[in-house]
Amino acid sequence: MKKIFGILGLFLAVFVFTALRNPQFVSAYNLENLIRWISLFGIISIGVSFVIITGGIDLSIGSLIGLTGSLMAWLLTHRGWSVPATLVTVLLLSLSVGLAHGLLITRLRLQPFVVTLCGLLLYRGIARFITDDQSQGFGNSHEGLRAIAIGKIPVGSSFSIPVPFFILLLIAIVSAVVLNRTIWGRYLLALGRNETAARYSGINTDRIKIAAYMLCSLLAGVGGILFSLDLNSVQPSGLGEFYELYAIAAAVLGGCSLRGGEGTILGVIIGTAVMRVLYNAINILSIPTHLEFAIIGAVILAGVVTDELAKRYAANRRAVRERLGETPAPSSS
Amino acid sequence: MKSFLRMGAAFLLTLTVLQIGCGDKSTPPATGADPGTGPKSGRKKIAYVTNGVDPFWNTAVAGVRAAEKEFGIDCEVLMPPKGLVDQKRMLESLLARGIDGIAISPVDAKNQVDLLNQAAARCPLITHDSDAPLSKRLCFVGMENYKAGRAAGRLVKEAIPAGGKVMLFVGRLEQLNSQQRRQGVIDELLDRPMQQSDSANFDPTGKVLSGAKYTILDTRTDNFDYARAKANAQDAMASNSDLACMVGLFAYNAPHCLEAAKEAGRLGKIKIVSFDEAAPVLQGIIDGHVYGTISQQPYFYGYHSVRLLHSLTKGDKSVLPPNGFLEVPIVEVRQKNAQTFWADLKKMQDMGK
Repeated sequence: MKKIFGILGLFLAVFVFTALRNPQFVSAYNLENLIRWISLFGIISIGVSFVIITGGIDLSIGSLIGLTGSLMAWLLTHRGWSVPATLVTVLLLSLSVGLAHGLLITRLRLQPFVVTLCGLLLYRGIARFITDDQSQGFGNSHEGLRAIAIGKIPVGSSFSIPVPFFILLLIAIVSAVVLNRTIWGRYLLALGRNETAARYSGINTDRIKIAAYMLCSLLAGVGGILFSLDLNSVQPSGLGEFYELYAIAAAVLGGCSLRGGEGTILGVIIGTAVMRVLYNAINILSIPTHLEFAIIGAVILAGVVTDELAKRYAANRRAVRERLGETPAPSSS
Repeated sequence: MKSFLRMGAAFLLTLTVLQIGCGDKSTPPATGADPGTGPKSGRKKIAYVTNGVDPFWNTAVAGVRAAEKEFGIDCEVLMPPKGLVDQKRMLESLLARGIDGIAISPVDAKNQVDLLNQAAARCPLITHDSDAPLSKRLCFVGMENYKAGRAAGRLVKEAIPAGGKVMLFVGRLEQLNSQQRRQGVIDELLDRPMQQSDSANFDPTGKVLSGAKYTILDTRTDNFDYARAKANAQDAMASNSDLACMVGLFAYNAPHCLEAAKEAGRLGKIKIVSFDEAAPVLQGIIDGHVYGTISQQPYFYGYHSVRLLHSLTKGDKSVLPPNGFLEVPIVEVRQKNAQTFWADLKKMQDMGK
């Protein structure tokens, strides 16, 4: 829990600063939009956090979002498939992609970076090939289905919660329970900390890794569906580009270690929220858009450095107290 | 033995993948190259290079295909998915393998001069859609983007005659056409005198520009990320409750403004002015949710580019316009002419099939 204090502080600092500079930031309309974007990006970030906890990486998320998003619109509007058949196909495809990644990484012992980098290229190419590189959209049809991305549920007279938030909430609760309250979750964390030790302890590490990659791709597929429904216009060559980096950044900001073995679902969601609030704040405060990457990079770096310095300061003080013999030396854990 | 078998399996798999990639499906491969009808023996081969992948270019390609048939020439269409880097790669490949003529929409007119000159030294080179006046291109096929911007500004004035706050949206501002378009809208709304397109002064971004009736809040860019395009429109409405008009300078911008306005329940309350002829925009104009759009008639970009290159590859320079600029007139689409315009557009697109 202590690990997310820093990122939570950064989130609150950006939030309060922006709200003070422009009160429109906390208007119901803006908060609803913000919640929707955090939900969409949060879902894919939770997915990649499972892979990161195993000490792996998935660079194919953005392209998989492009493929599933394009396929979703293409199957529904060009091929005339039914909604259930399309959803099942797209989700099964995502699971299969994750299974393929997992098998290549565990059975063939290929590096996750290489496997998913090839996936990044492959899925983008397939998306462009299948759709003939043409933009896909739903037009004015499938309004009911689109409600799962753009719909809102009113709470009170002037505020509504976007439907994707509830999807994120469900995924986050299930993920948190799985990670923290099940044997599988403990095995996952153990595998990330020391794979060899976990294997010698009798854990089937390959199976857990495969499951983590499948979960990651499945959530990327869910993200692809929601992004395409939200935007109503999918460019096969562009949808989801760089989203893997947003997802990985959010997961790492939220406390996941790229070395594996660490991470919390709440932290990942807060990490996502920091990224989206920064993007939103730049527009709300009328900062030129060509400065956005520079500002986001600088703010996040400043936040991470401050967090690290604060941790070191606290550790030094603890060490000094221990040397002075005020307290008995605690165990290293 | 095992490693030999492994190598064999990898070789076979690679062959299979390549075979799938080279199947006879008549669709463009993933590199963005559209082989068109394929080279016929003895026919000249030219290339039509766009600045990205967008439905806007499909209409231009319809013009390319129609001219291909009419003039008996083969034209390869290349759509760089990643802007400048891919465009450079594609142009270099064309020059390396040999091509008889190139029509290109440069992504960065000022900084691509050397590359464009390299191409111009090897084959006839013309620009379309966005010009590179400092290069040795033979002519430019397109509209005057500054004038088109002023026309869009006039649509804004018609949409909100009492004045108000206006926000502009665009994919990227590095391109000369987007800079000129933006400046045209700004100058028209601020009642400034007409500037020359090729020597126009550009107002800096990030600065509120106010005139007697209209205030231009800013120009928001999205780098062709559709999610950003939509979020930019949402954020503009969120931070300015009195926003009166949104102007999309690229084809996909206004459709996302439309989506954002629809979700916010502000359809018709916030006026939308667009460029180009995306289907949601034309439907929006008919429904009264978009005030109007400026069509560049991209069909003629494709058609005239191929027509000119056909003559130039045969050494006939008489087709070149005297000042090096072949102007394709813009069409202002409003509710009264939207249906006729859309029907004509569909006819042109069908002609290219």
